[in-house]
Amino acid sequence: MASARHTLRTASTIAGLEWQLEWRQGHQLAAVGLFAIASVYVAFQASDHNTTAAGWTAMLWLVHLFSGFTAIGRLFDRERTEVRRYLQWTAEPLGLMLGKLFHAILTTTALTAVVLGAFVLFLGWPQGMDDPGKPGLLVLGAWMGGLSMTTTLVFVSAVASQIRAGGSALAAVLGLPLLLPQLILATRLTRGALADQPWTMLVEYPLFLGALGAGTSAIACILFPYIWRA
Amino acid sequence: MKGAWNWTWKAGSILLLGYVILRGFGTPLQPGLVTATPSQLGIGTDTIILAAAGQPFAAADDVPSDFHVVLRAGDQLLKTETVEITPHSVRLAVNTPATLPSRALDAFVFTPAAGTLFLGNACFVEEAAKGDIPKDFRAKAPEERAPKLGFSFPYQPNIIESIRNLLWHVPMWFAMFFIMGLGFVASLAQLRTDNINWDMRAEAAVKTGLVFGLLGLATGSLWARWTWGAWWVSDPQLNGALVTVLLYSGYLILRAAMGDDDRVGRLAAVYNVFAFIMLVVLLMVLPRYTESLHPGKDGNPGFNSYDLDNSLRAVFYPAVIGWGALCYWMYTLRLRMNRHAYHLLSR
Repeated sequence: MASARHTLRTASTIAGLEWQLEWRQGHQLAAVGLFAIASVYVAFQASDHNTTAAGWTAMLWLVHLFSGFTAIGRLFDRERTEVRRYLQWTAEPLGLMLGKLFHAILTTTALTAVVLGAFVLFLGWPQGMDDPGKPGLLVLGAWMGGLSMTTTLVFVSAVASQIRAGGSALAAVLGLPLLLPQLILATRLTRGALADQPWTMLVEYPLFLGALGAGTSAIACILFPYIWRA
Repeated sequence: MKGAWNWTWKAGSILLLGYVILRGFGTPLQPGLVTATPSQLGIGTDTIILAAAGQPFAAADDVPSDFHVVLRAGDQLLKTETVEITPHSVRLAVNTPATLPSRALDAFVFTPAAGTLFLGNACFVEEAAKGDIPKDFRAKAPEERAPKLGFSFPYQPNIIESIRNLLWHVPMWFAMFFIMGLGFVASLAQLRTDNINWDMRAEAAVKTGLVFGLLGLATGSLWARWTWGAWWVSDPQLNGALVTVLLYSGYLILRAAMGDDDRVGRLAAVYNVFAFIMLVVLLMVLPRYTESLHPGKDGNPGFNSYDLDNSLRAVFYPAVIGWGALCYWMYTLRLRMNRHAYHLLSR
């Protein structure tokens, strides 16, 4: 049984490896950014500074959702086959999962910044709104929503990567229904933050999102060893 | 011995469900007041018709002297005169004074047979000034009587006759939880032992559970149309139910996508464990913490005392057991099919 220190060392190695891979295969990172900004631009063209708060929220989360899919959906099968086989035999599964999760969290944080920044830059705030009611909560909601989406996606793409053909398509099919609860909470939080609802009504949403994210991460860590060397 | 028990519980479940269907549709509903027409009253004399649903609350030859209707404004009672009684309505003559403690009037009907019927905010008197009801207009509170109805289902405003759906809708979900829980245990065992038998059990459980989940959605949708006015509403309980059913459909898609890959048992077990934990979170945890139209939620884990009275319980519990046993029976059949298919394929 691997010690906790060994697990953590594996995790940090994997996270570093992921980071290197990300920079070496720069096209993947660029592809996600391009996807996010192009989607925001489509939303901007379609709305032309004329959206209601509900429409704004819907578009924000659609862009965020599908950018997340693009970024995280391939997390478990982007190494070359040889590297993957090597990892399968040498890396400790829990450490590997933690490393991948850490990387996914970093990616999501960056992605949230890009999506939300581009959204505000191009679309501005919803019609008749000079400022959002609670900008801090808006940012927190986008980030927490993104994180709890991501952790679920990590689990789903780990399962889907075990399938020989069509894994990424399957990740989308399995992932979308799983993300509905997170999206429901996140969109309510965003709408409330835009409309300046009182803190007491909104504070439960980031808590729920955080709990869902933490819970799915924990389940993913517990179950991952069973599929990794199946 | 085993053989005897094997058909006894199956026959028992059929008998129970037969009882549930007969009792569920055959039991009369206690009467309750549905509407008052007109809902706006002027000052002075007027007639009101109170309409009731459920079993007849009065016989045609009921003695009006034993049959009282009063209207309540605030904490004072306004007297009325009963003009005509039919089995499902009563016509009143009322003389509305110019001053009332409240503009909204609640109606109370005291019947000899069915006890006291109540309709909150039955009528409004826009023009009334605030003040006490004058002495001449007041009624004395009639004596409350216990209903002499026998076995009957309780009247709930809005739900009315659709209360019978309780015997279908709720047990469907109980049966689904039960069989999915069985699948969860089978999947855990599959992960521990890597024995294909457990995988076959888990698959049979999920397939059977999905049937009951879909039936639960269908009966719930019907009920929502009747009570809330729409086939589907955005509500934590409903969202959770839909996501759960989609999640378990994903289990079947995952299996289908894997084909005859020999890792299917493990992967499916991992997914099933995850799915069941999500089921518990989505259907039993999250809805408790958010506002919901759905009864039995909002911080209260069980049914409220007014949702289930003894007559309903006497049919509801057999329904839960009957549907649960039927569900388990379906699961055993599916499991047998899975085993036959496995032996045929591995020959």
